[in-house]
Amino acid sequence: MLLCPACGSENLDGADQCDECLHSLTDLSLPQAMTAVERGLLKDRIESLKPRSPIMVGPETPVGEVLKRMIDQRVGCVVIVDQQRRLLGIFTERDALMRLNVDAAKLADKPVSSLMTVSPATLRMRDKIAFALHRMHVGGYRHVPILDEQDRLAGVISIRGILSYLTERHLAKA
Amino acid sequence: MSFLSLSTDPITEAYPDQPLAVSVDSTVGEVIELMRAQRGNCVLVCAGDDCQGKILGIFTERDALRWMAEGAAPQISIRDWMTANPAVLHARDSVGSAMEAMSAGGYRHLPVVDASGTPQSVISTGGLVHYLVDHFPNTIYTLPPEPGKTYDREGA
Repeated sequence: MLLCPACGSENLDGADQCDECLHSLTDLSLPQAMTAVERGLLKDRIESLKPRSPIMVGPETPVGEVLKRMIDQRVGCVVIVDQQRRLLGIFTERDALMRLNVDAAKLADKPVSSLMTVSPATLRMRDKIAFALHRMHVGGYRHVPILDEQDRLAGVISIRGILSYLTERHLAKA
Repeated sequence: MSFLSLSTDPITEAYPDQPLAVSVDSTVGEVIELMRAQRGNCVLVCAGDDCQGKILGIFTERDALRWMAEGAAPQISIRDWMTANPAVLHARDSVGSAMEAMSAGGYRHLPVVDASGTPQSVISTGGLVHYLVDHFPNTIYTLPPEPGKTYDREGA
């Protein structure tokens, strides 16, 4: 049963407008955020995760050097960009395991552009966190590059970043 | 559909994976080829000839990356590259505690062990996200393109 917020009369579930006063009821059928975390997911944008600035390398960088930088800087992915900071590809731990594997030493001099994942899925700073979570779950991504208005690389978000953001909210509420 | 069930739902709800188990006598080369073939994220190093015993260590993608960056030999024993005595969970722990343990320790995988220390499954960040997405279907799958904006419907 839907109660019309304007005149208070009862309408059938799913009705588009009130039978009495013709007030629109479509908004009442939209999902409502139930908990603080859900409201946060809906309201907060990717910028509130404070995406860290990624490790950026050029396409000609040898893959051996990329691996060393990933270890030194304690990150799980590097982003491959051109001179204008436009995104070319991404190279993650997963790519290393799947494409280098036991041949890591043999392939160390290859340019990273031959082993990276080309044109990864991207998001914008203004996208909602729930949208990012959905995109990552569906695509199975652990890292998603964030682009700015001019399509240049602005940051990278990780699944761990989202999980720790949710954990913080969950703990703060408890 | 409430997030509150985080503290009561057991971790078995968070899509545990069957672990890949190897013996301590394996070499790093064998282990990472197994990970590639099985598309696994981590392997558990277990005691016993049939790898069914107590958990001794964990070897993850991150360890594989360290090994690759260093250019070490594939014949080296897994014992030298695994993380010994990893943090573990028990089957009765809650999803919330798994999330907190992962955030606090920076882990991506937590083995679930029984009373004797034998691993039963592995909880990963991917499984947790799957659990979250499952429990927020209304939030996640029905997001309007720009929340807060109302839309006029076209046609009937």
